[in-house]
Amino acid sequence: MIEEAPALELRGIGKTYGRGDGGGGGGKRAVDDVSLSVRRGEVYGFLGPNGAGKSTTIRMALGLIRASQGEALLFGRPVADRTGLARTGSLVDGGTFYPFLSGRDNLHVLARTQSNRTADIDGVLARVDLAADAGRKFKGYSTGMKQRLGVAAALLNEPDLVILDEPANGLDAAGIQDMRGLIRGLAAEGKAVFLSSHLLHEVEQICDRVAIVSKGRLVRESTVSALLGRGEALRIEAEPRDAAIAALQGRWPVEAVADGLRVAASRAEAPEIARLLTAAGVDLFTIGPDDRSLEDIFLSMTSGTDA
Amino acid sequence: MLDAIVAETLKLRRHRATWLMVWIFPVVVALVTAAVLVYHSVAGAGAPSPDKGAATWIANSTLLLRFPSSSAGRSLTAGFAALVFAGEYSWNTWKLIVPARDRWQLVVAKWVVTFGLVAAAMIAADLIGLAATAIDAVRGDPVPAGVTVPAIAAAHLRAGAFALVPIASTIAFAALFAIVTRSLLAAVILSFALLIIEGLLPIAAIYLYPRAPALVEVLVKALPFYHLANIGGWAKGTGVTLLLRPGTTVAMSLAASLAVIAAWIAAAAAATLTRFIRQDLN
Repeated sequence: MIEEAPALELRGIGKTYGRGDGGGGGGKRAVDDVSLSVRRGEVYGFLGPNGAGKSTTIRMALGLIRASQGEALLFGRPVADRTGLARTGSLVDGGTFYPFLSGRDNLHVLARTQSNRTADIDGVLARVDLAADAGRKFKGYSTGMKQRLGVAAALLNEPDLVILDEPANGLDAAGIQDMRGLIRGLAAEGKAVFLSSHLLHEVEQICDRVAIVSKGRLVRESTVSALLGRGEALRIEAEPRDAAIAALQGRWPVEAVADGLRVAASRAEAPEIARLLTAAGVDLFTIGPDDRSLEDIFLSMTSGTDA
Repeated sequence: MLDAIVAETLKLRRHRATWLMVWIFPVVVALVTAAVLVYHSVAGAGAPSPDKGAATWIANSTLLLRFPSSSAGRSLTAGFAALVFAGEYSWNTWKLIVPARDRWQLVVAKWVVTFGLVAAAMIAADLIGLAATAIDAVRGDPVPAGVTVPAIAAAHLRAGAFALVPIASTIAFAALFAIVTRSLLAAVILSFALLIIEGLLPIAAIYLYPRAPALVEVLVKALPFYHLANIGGWAKGTGVTLLLRPGTTVAMSLAASLAVIAAWIAAAAAATLTRFIRQDLN
């Protein structure tokens, strides 16, 4: 069986605005040497603080911005080739549409621009729960409705790759839950979903893999479970901390964190750690799995940026 | 390509500017025609018009075709073309359609639809005017001997063709300004400035000629302004002779002026495409 090329592949892609190389020679480097790939059937999260280069990267992947270095491939073909773009749906800037047209007419215009004469416009409108308001002019839509119409537009050509820039922006709790189900449903259908978001809790729940960018550079790419490191560390509250660290160092990597210690040890090793600390005269208050949230990890990796 | 043109038409048919800047022409002609017909039916027909001769009668019947290529008509066209191209920046909608189709096709579709709508409005207004003339004839207004349907058709086709040249030029430059500036207001201002410069050209050329005769003569022949006026002149039968000083004139053939304007339109179109294809849409 021939393995299909990744739905989206970025190879050392970068963007420098203005003249120069973005270093000392002038110009502003917005994205620098980002490489990643998104496979079909997975939801890939693209995280980073404001100004980290997420939107610029997405726009390069969609051919809206020319890359200064590297290349973006869609289904193994350069973006400029356009065959990959025909299999891609996208939502950028929270849904950009013609304000004087209705939601339905906006989708008609987009479908015709795509040469998609058999588009199931009513079907995608129903899928994003916008059928009742499809006849209203776009300029009268709420932020959430605009976002949902943007998702409908992204699904209009039944794409194999869906690129969503902040898809949950402007949605209420129920809308976010619907969006979560929709995105997981797309992945279940075998589509690749590449989404940027600042709602880390959402990303944690729906993404299979994530990449974290900071100051235009990719700082980590991993599966969500590996990134969270579930079951790979213990969180300990003990006093005095210095004595606790001295007792454990040498056996396990120990890291002092805000409210105690983080010990790189498995759950099965917890009783042994407890005995060791007690024997060393350390008062042990709590010991348990260190379930850091994606937010903790994100903040530790991107600290020092303008987030 | 046809789909891109249909999509552009679907988009523009609902925009208010299409009515205010394009369809307003046939609408006003229709309203005026209706008002005149109602007035005549109420007040009765006046004294019959003096016999003007077939050639004059046919030439007068093409008057409506001259409006779109006038300064006022081209101002409306420039404003409309600026909106068609720069509107995508204002609405932030290039991001919606650029991933869906080649950039050059999007630009070409806009040219075709803008030009097509203005031409359609012009033809509609002309047909309404001809219908009014026919009604007048049926009601007893004398038609000079020698006026035939083929002669009318030939005259209107010729006048229409001449009118479309300045319209195409106006659209080409308004589109270029819109793509380069990414601003509706800037595109409109630059397009209007071009029309004003065109109107001032004869005065400026005559004023500047004594200071730099060779340069002025080259500029008059190379820039589009004289040639647009010259084409307008040929539409009425004779070209425009620009008197730079006693004994020194610029008078060019229709073919030469058409070639220069075609070159300017092609250059503006090439610049528009080149700029847009390389443009980052942030």
